[in-house]
Amino acid sequence: MENGSSLDRTDTIKFSGQSGEYFKLWFVNMFLSIITLGIYSAWAKVRDTQYMYGHTQVDGQSFRFLATPMQILKGRIVAVVIFILYMVLSQINPIIGIVMALGFLVAMPWLIIQGIKFSMRMTAYRNVRFSFEGTYGGVIVHFLLLPILGAITLYLAMPWVVQQIQQYLNNNITYGGKHFEQKSSAGQYYIAALFSLGIALLGGALIAGLGGAAIASAPTGPSIGLVIVGLAAFALFGIVTAVYQSIIYNHIMKTLSIENVVSFDAEMKTIPFAVLMLTNLLLIIVTFGLAIPVVKIRTARYIASVTKVTIKPGIDELINTVEGSDSAFGEEAAGLFDTDLSIV
Amino acid sequence: MITIAGNYQLAGRSEMHPASAKVYDTGHIIIHHENGEQIMDSWPDDYKFSDVIPGLAVDLQLADGALFIPNDNRFRWPQLTSNNLLAEWLESHWLVVFSSILIVPLFMWSMINYVLPGAAHAAVAFLPDSIAESMGQQTLYILDKTQLDPTELSPEQQQRVTKTWQRISDELELPTDKYQLHFRKFDLGANAMALPDGSIIVTDDIVTLMADNPDALLAVLLHEVGHVEHKHSLKMVAQTTATTMLFAMMFGDIDGAGELILGAGTGLLQTAFSRDMEREADEFSHKNLPKFNISPAAFADAMTLLLSSHSSTEEENAEDSEGDIRSTLSHWLQYLSSHPETQARIESAKQAGDERQRESNDSAD
Repeated sequence: MENGSSLDRTDTIKFSGQSGEYFKLWFVNMFLSIITLGIYSAWAKVRDTQYMYGHTQVDGQSFRFLATPMQILKGRIVAVVIFILYMVLSQINPIIGIVMALGFLVAMPWLIIQGIKFSMRMTAYRNVRFSFEGTYGGVIVHFLLLPILGAITLYLAMPWVVQQIQQYLNNNITYGGKHFEQKSSAGQYYIAALFSLGIALLGGALIAGLGGAAIASAPTGPSIGLVIVGLAAFALFGIVTAVYQSIIYNHIMKTLSIENVVSFDAEMKTIPFAVLMLTNLLLIIVTFGLAIPVVKIRTARYIASVTKVTIKPGIDELINTVEGSDSAFGEEAAGLFDTDLSIV
Repeated sequence: MITIAGNYQLAGRSEMHPASAKVYDTGHIIIHHENGEQIMDSWPDDYKFSDVIPGLAVDLQLADGALFIPNDNRFRWPQLTSNNLLAEWLESHWLVVFSSILIVPLFMWSMINYVLPGAAHAAVAFLPDSIAESMGQQTLYILDKTQLDPTELSPEQQQRVTKTWQRISDELELPTDKYQLHFRKFDLGANAMALPDGSIIVTDDIVTLMADNPDALLAVLLHEVGHVEHKHSLKMVAQTTATTMLFAMMFGDIDGAGELILGAGTGLLQTAFSRDMEREADEFSHKNLPKFNISPAAFADAMTLLLSSHSSTEEENAEDSEGDIRSTLSHWLQYLSSHPETQARIESAKQAGDERQRESNDSAD
């Protein structure tokens, strides 16, 4: 460490995507997907991801999304065929439907792994690919058993469970054959949970008390009071989420590294993040979802601006260990059957 | 010849060097290291370009996997064809955005009104009868377990209905191994249902309701036969599947939009399909009633009777006479009627009756 530290380069992530530019790309791709009955969506996904990756720069170099539309299209076709079979067969005979659903359940951990693996392997930075090395057993433990444990302990163990899941995911990501190392502590997750819970309870009580009084004493009738209470609850929701997210995000980044290759730091602040999230939500509601591309750009820009990456000398010596011929089926099947991996 | 400054990224490793590329009119490209040393000499067959994305540099991809990345994000290689540049062109013009706002609704409208129903009907013709049989048996089994009870009608009452049914069966030459009449008690009131395999269920209440008006009951039974003859249940399954798939394919990739459009869109379309099918079954009934020397107005009588019985019990849910798949599909159906408005159905039955009247007058003259 000592000899290399003088060559360490630390800077924030640079995100150069533009809302207007991305909006056009997003909208035109959506249009082309619709009129080609979804076939173009494979191209759309590639172009969309290439845009977001390409505009994300660390140490002057951008990320690359290497999947080809055909890989994604093939995965999608397989998923669609299975989905049609499931719909038709379960209408004809519910028993077959149940058997298929059970089979899907058994295949789920494998699909989760394939999905993460695909998106990791298709991500490259400086010509070196990422990968994911999770196992069936590991996914069962972290995505099935631990959440059950969290639930039966009346959610007392949940912060620990969430920490274990995220640590499992990050520890199994590799870059150029080297494992990411996540040394997070469950304590921070408990702090984040307690903080946000406390603010939620306190804020909730305050809004209920003051709001009730305001509604009762308002001479103009209860409607204005109700609006104010609604807005206050909306703001409280944003703040509570932002408190939790910012504590967790900063902690994860501070404890994530690849030895002698890269380490991270993050300074996400609660209030700016809460403002970002609430304005994002408002934008989406007001524009009936048309602001989604704008929201994605705003969020990416903010997260990049609060995240610092330290590049260490070892990065120059990495060799790509991943060949890129996976099928996108896992990710697509999981997507079509609506099993998202978002934990928090 | 042009010279482009950029970075040379070695194949399969993170090492990279500042470099410059000389591009000749012949397509010949030579890359030099910053210190002047030549790194790569490449001809058009040995290189290609990365996708052209708005605001991003286009990488030169060399045969061995090495990359040359121009420093200027706006630089576009002279070798790029208009095919390479088409997507970027579309994605960077507001005109394209605005014209797509016009095209999408038109496209959707024609898909929903013409392409999907057509495709569903065509597909149904290829389905073997065994599918309809199995669907019908399953549905009857589930209905018996959940909503239906054994009939409490007297044998005489059943006998009268069976006779009416026999008239239909004989007159229309229905295959007896396919069509079966079932009596069931149903708590939600007067109703008749057709299952895809040809099982026709009449509830105790509808038999009692139409005891004095066998013509009305015959009209209702014809309506149900119409459902079976037109393979409505199968078409519904095919259409639902096709619509869900279409929507999932078209919108599945759009964040958040997928669920919203899938839920609301297919639900609304479902009721539209259902209404069309009811209308078709009504027409079947109107068309065939004269074969029994009954005016289509008998169907209007049946509707009036049903309307009065249901409005007296306030059971809107029982309006859904195809208890099979449709009732289990989604709760949307409870909010948006799956049947054409009863008053309209009565009117059109009366109209069919009047026309019939005129026709017979004409032939009498």
